Amino acid sequence: MCMKLERHHFVRVRMLRLKGLVPPMRLASLLASAIVLVGLAGCAARPPASDPEALEEFRANNDPIEPFNRAMYSVNDVLDTVALRPAAQAYRFVLPQPVRTGVRNALGNLRAPNILMNDVLQGEVDRGARTAARFLINSTLGIGGLIDVAEWQFGIPGHSEDFGQTLAVWGVGEGPYLFLPVLGPSNPRDLFGFGVDVVASPWFWFGQGSVVEALRWAHTGIALIDAREGVLDALDELNRGSLDPYSTLRSAYRQRRNAEIQGTGFVAPDAARGTGFGVGTGVPVPPRNPSAP
Amino acid sequence: MTETVSRPDARPTRRALLALLAGLPFLRPLAASAQMDPGRATAFIQQTGEALVGALNNTGLSAAQRRERVAGILRQAVDMEGTGRFILGRWWRTASPAEQQEYQRLFEQTLILNLAARFGEYQGVRFALGRSQQRTEDDALVTTVVERPSSAPVNLDWRVADVGGQPRIVDLVAEGTSLRLTQRSEYSAVIQRGGNQVSALLAAMRNQLQQLQQRG
Repeated sequence: MCMKLERHHFVRVRMLRLKGLVPPMRLASLLASAIVLVGLAGCAARPPASDPEALEEFRANNDPIEPFNRAMYSVNDVLDTVALRPAAQAYRFVLPQPVRTGVRNALGNLRAPNILMNDVLQGEVDRGARTAARFLINSTLGIGGLIDVAEWQFGIPGHSEDFGQTLAVWGVGEGPYLFLPVLGPSNPRDLFGFGVDVVASPWFWFGQGSVVEALRWAHTGIALIDAREGVLDALDELNRGSLDPYSTLRSAYRQRRNAEIQGTGFVAPDAARGTGFGVGTGVPVPPRNPSAP
Repeated sequence: MTETVSRPDARPTRRALLALLAGLPFLRPLAASAQMDPGRATAFIQQTGEALVGALNNTGLSAAQRRERVAGILRQAVDMEGTGRFILGRWWRTASPAEQQEYQRLFEQTLILNLAARFGEYQGVRFALGRSQQRTEDDALVTTVVERPSSAPVNLDWRVADVGGQPRIVDLVAEGTSLRLTQRSEYSAVIQRGGNQVSALLAAMRNQLQQLQQRG
């Protein structure tokens, strides 16, 4: 199981690289180094058949490369402690709520072409029409997406879709659980979907030159900080309250992702990404007390 | 999807079959026999929810008094024993009677403190029953939408089972995430990482409870 996954991934990454589809420094190198580390960290011990309950739990957790994932979780913990969380805190401290909401709206608006693509690929024509209408309204009346006029004045609420979900709708299984630094909880299907979403975005292709390049980096950076700020309270609560945050996050993420894919009433925020922390931790968190600082 | 739970009266899934083959028809001895009528479950959640909201929005009480009152309501409404046992899952059998007892005590105290502290911040809260109330195999899921001033509404589903003839809460599902499944995963990980010893979990829980009480 573990070995098969490795080879499979090597091939996929190499193919994408050859086609120039994956930004060479980001996803591909991350994946490649990840695979090397899977080899180093090894697989989780599969319980013997004589212990059906343990075996069943092992299957339900869907985490055959747990030692590797835990190692990545530790790496992420360090990165998060020294960089991501402080950045998100600073972001929240410096910018008032309305500005942050504007930023989140704008990021969601920039994702609209992706969401539309996935709506269509999932055969959800009505939803696609709503996404298109939102994009037109918010890009114009909403001043480049800063204000969600479509929901506020036209009553068209946003939703999120990503290629990982589209693949799920098409019947592709999630594969083993995967935890990656910065990207957070994921799996091969959603990670691949994330890569597809990145290259399918018009902003990935649009324009050239140093200004565009700078804007692209700024977009990535802001999206990252916004996503981290979005789960600031939830992750703090999780780290404080859980006796083993790694497994709590794994369970919460997978449940939430399933709920999202099955469309059981739960709607992901507009700015949500298909992988990692962007979809939230799934851990319920009390809304912040308005009287508290 | 994958984190489903086998119940004695569930369809003969592979898992149930495995459990039977292993001669382990011991899961959920409580609460499993009677079916839960969705109407009754909804009325129960309505009543409990109103009691909670009433306590939380009672401005005549101090924060500590509010928490105490919320704790009292929860102690009555939640099936502590069944939920605690569900969450310990397969490790329940490996625990000694003394460990089981201590676990239940720690579990109840932690849960009450956690939930009371969490709900304690919900001032100005309102809740509305959701549209769908569905029956599952042996319990009912009552959906609610919890609204608070200046924050997005949260979908909160309550799983209600019949425990000794009374409706009791056995799970809370927030935005698609079941608390008891998440917690079972967490506790099992602590036990496994502690050398498959329930005592490792108990030590961690004691420690956590102490911290919670200091915060409280």
